[in-house]
Amino acid sequence: MMSITFHQAVFYFFSAIIVIFSILTVTSKRILRAATFLLFVLLGTAAFYFILNYAFMGALQITLYAGGIVVLIIFSILLTSHVGERFEPIGWGKMIASALVSLIGAGFTLYVLLNADFIPTQAPLPDASVKNIGTALLSYERNGFVLPFEVVSLLLLAAIVGAIVIARKEPHDTENPNNE
Amino acid sequence: MTYSIISIMRQELGLVVIALLVLFFDLVVNEKNKQKVFLIALALFGLHTLAGFFPFEGGNLFGGMYSTQPVHILMKNVLNIGVFLVLLMSASWLKTPQIANKSNEFLMILLTTLSGMYFMISAGDFLMFYIGLEIASIPMAILAAYEKFKSRSEEAGIKFLLNSALSTGFLLFGLSLFYAAAGSIYFDDLTRTLSQPSPLVALALTFLLSGLAFKLSLVPFHFWTADVYEGSPMVVTSYFSVISKGAVAFVLGILLFKVFPVFEGLWQNVIYTLAVATMFLGNLFAIRQKNIKRFLAFSSIAQAGFILLGLLHTDNLGIIVIIYFVLIYILSNLAAFGVAQAVYAASGKENIEDYNGFYKTNPRLALIMMLALFSLSGIPPVAGFFSKFFLFTAAAKAGYYWLVFIAVVNTTIALYYYLLVVKAMFINPNPEPLPTIRSDKYLRSALFITVIGIFLTGILSPVFEYIQAMVDKF
Amino acid sequence: MTSGLLITFFITAIVLVAAGILAAWLLAPSSFNKQKSQPYECGIPTKGTSWMQFNVGYYLFALLFLIFDVETVFLFPWAVVMKTIGMTAFVEILIFFVIIVLGLAYAWKKQALKWQ
Repeated sequence: MMSITFHQAVFYFFSAIIVIFSILTVTSKRILRAATFLLFVLLGTAAFYFILNYAFMGALQITLYAGGIVVLIIFSILLTSHVGERFEPIGWGKMIASALVSLIGAGFTLYVLLNADFIPTQAPLPDASVKNIGTALLSYERNGFVLPFEVVSLLLLAAIVGAIVIARKEPHDTENPNNE
Repeated sequence: MTYSIISIMRQELGLVVIALLVLFFDLVVNEKNKQKVFLIALALFGLHTLAGFFPFEGGNLFGGMYSTQPVHILMKNVLNIGVFLVLLMSASWLKTPQIANKSNEFLMILLTTLSGMYFMISAGDFLMFYIGLEIASIPMAILAAYEKFKSRSEEAGIKFLLNSALSTGFLLFGLSLFYAAAGSIYFDDLTRTLSQPSPLVALALTFLLSGLAFKLSLVPFHFWTADVYEGSPMVVTSYFSVISKGAVAFVLGILLFKVFPVFEGLWQNVIYTLAVATMFLGNLFAIRQKNIKRFLAFSSIAQAGFILLGLLHTDNLGIIVIIYFVLIYILSNLAAFGVAQAVYAASGKENIEDYNGFYKTNPRLALIMMLALFSLSGIPPVAGFFSKFFLFTAAAKAGYYWLVFIAVVNTTIALYYYLLVVKAMFINPNPEPLPTIRSDKYLRSALFITVIGIFLTGILSPVFEYIQAMVDKF
Repeated sequence: MTSGLLITFFITAIVLVAAGILAAWLLAPSSFNKQKSQPYECGIPTKGTSWMQFNVGYYLFALLFLIFDVETVFLFPWAVVMKTIGMTAFVEILIFFVIIVLGLAYAWKKQALKWQ
C-alpha cells in the first residue's frame, strides 16, 4: 500500500508543478519569463515518463524539449526587437470569459473521464528498455513502427528545407542580386 | 516482402522519389539550369498521375498500419489531377525574380505535403493518420509564408501554423481518448472493440471531429481561413482550398464510414449541424467580400458545407458522391483561381471591382471565369450541377429532406454572389479595364484542361461509373 | 521498503533546508538601504536596456541542431538492436539516413551553415 501512495504523491506533486507553471506560462506578462516557465512544464512532463519507468522517453523529453525546443524558443524571442516589452493587460471581461470557458470544458472532460468505465488490462507492464524500443521501431509486423519511422524523415527533411528557405537572407535583399 | 511493399505502396514511393529527386537536382545543377528542374518535376508528376490509373490490387502492409484499396487509389488520383493543374498554374509565379531562387524548394515541399495526404488516406491506424496529417500541414505553413517579403504572407504563415497547432492539439487529445477506450490505435481493433456508444467515445469523437473541422474550415472553426487564403500566394491559396480540403474531406469520409460506422447516430447530428452552419455562414460572408481571394475563400467554406451532405449517406453512395463532388470542385475552383492568377500575374490586382469590364478586354478569360463560377454554383449544363444534384440525391435518400431544402436555399444565395462577379466582368462599365492579358503556355493549358473537365465530367457518364466501380471494390 | 526510505529522505531534506532558511531569517538582523540593491563586483551601473537583438544565424543553427537532435533519438535505439536484426535494420536506417543527409547537403549547399 505504501508504494502506491508514494507513487501517487509523486504524481500529484509533479502534476501540481505542471499545472502551476502552465498557468504562469500563459499569464506571464513578459515573453521570456513565459518561455522559462514553459521549461518547467516540460521538465515536469519528463518526470511523468520516469515515474512510468519509461526512462528513454524521459531522457528524450529532456534533451529534445528542455534542451532543444525551449532554447529555440528563447532564441526566436531574442531575435525580435521587442524582447523587453510587456504584454498589454488583458481586459477583465476577456479574462473571465476565457477562464469560464476553460473551466467548463475541463470540468466536462473530467466528468466524462471519471465516469467512464475503462477496461483494466491483464497484460503485464511492457518492458520499455531501449532494446525493446529499437526492436519495435524497426519491426514490420503488427505493433512495429518502421513505416512511421521512415515517413518521419520526410517531415524532418521538409522542415530543414523550409526553415532554410524562410530564415536565410535573400540575395535580392542585398545590393548585388547576382552574388549568391 | 520487399516486392509487395514496392508494388502496394508504389504511389507513395513514386511521389516521395519525385520530391527527393527535385531537391537532388536542385543541388547538383548549376544556376542556369535551375528553372529546368520545374520541367522535369512536371513531367515526372504527369507520369505519376497517369500511372495511378493503371488498375492494380490493393493490400495491407506493416501489420495493418497501411492499407490501400482501389477507392484510396482513386482518391489519390483525384488529388493528383488537382496538383498537376496547380503545378501548371504555378509556372509563371515561380519565374518571378523574388521566387525564382527558391522555386525548386517550393515544388519539393508541395509534393511532400501531398505525400502526407497520401499517407493520411491510406492510414490503417491513428499513428500513421497523425503523421500524415502533420506532414500535410506543417510544411503548408512554409508555403503560405513563401512570399516572405510581404508581411501579409508572413502573417498567413504564422496564422496557419498557430491554428493548425491548436487543431492538432484537439485531434491528438481525441486520439488519446480513443486509445483509452479501446486500448489500441489500429482501425480494425477500434471497429472490433468499440461496439456501442459511450460518453467517452462521444467525447473522443467530438475532439477528433473538431480537429478535422479546423482543417476543413467548417463553421465555427473557420476563423483562420479568410486571412490565410488572402495572405498566401495565389498558387498556395488554390492548393489550400482544393487539394488540402479535398484530402481532409476524403479522410473524414473514410474515418466515419469505415472506422466509426457504429456511431452513426452520434456523428450524424454533428455533421448535420456543421453542414447547416457552414453553408449559411460561408455564403453570407462571401457576399460581402471585395477581394477575389477572400471571396473564393468563403465560397470554399460554403462548398465544404455541401461536401458534408455526402457524409450523411453512410453507404458506398456517400463515398462515390463525395469523390465525384471533390473532383468537379477541384476542376471548377482551379479554373477560377487560374483566371485570378492570370490577372494577378499580369496586373497585381486582386479586387473584384478590378474585374469590371473584364469581358471587353479579355473575353476568353472572362468566359472561363464565368464557366467556373457557374460550375461552383451548380447551373445545369456544366459539371457542378451534376455533382450537387447527386449530393442532394444522396442526402435525400438518407431521409434528410429538410437539409436538402436548406442546401437548395444556399445554392440560390451562392448563385447571387457568383453572379455578382459575372456581372462585374460582363456588365459593369469601367473607363480603364484591365489590359489584355497574355498568360504563359502552362497556365493556358491548365485552364484548357479545367474547361474540358468542367464540360465532360458532368456529361460523360463513364466518369461517374468509373468512380462507382472503384468504390464498390472497397 | 525503498519507498519508505525515499519518503524519509525527502522529508528530511525539506525539513533541513527549511530549518536553515528559517533560522537565518529569525536570527539575522535585517536592514535595507539603496546601495545594497545596486550591482557590485564590476561596479558600473548599466546604461539603457541589457536586452540585445540576436543574429538570425543563431536561430538557423539552433533549428538545424534540433532537427539532427531528433535524428539521434531515432538512431539510438537502432544502434542497440542493429546487431540482432542485421541487414534489414541496416537498410531501414540507410533509407532514413539518405533522406536526412539530403537535408544536410541542402543546408550546406545553400550556405546556411556559413556564418553571415
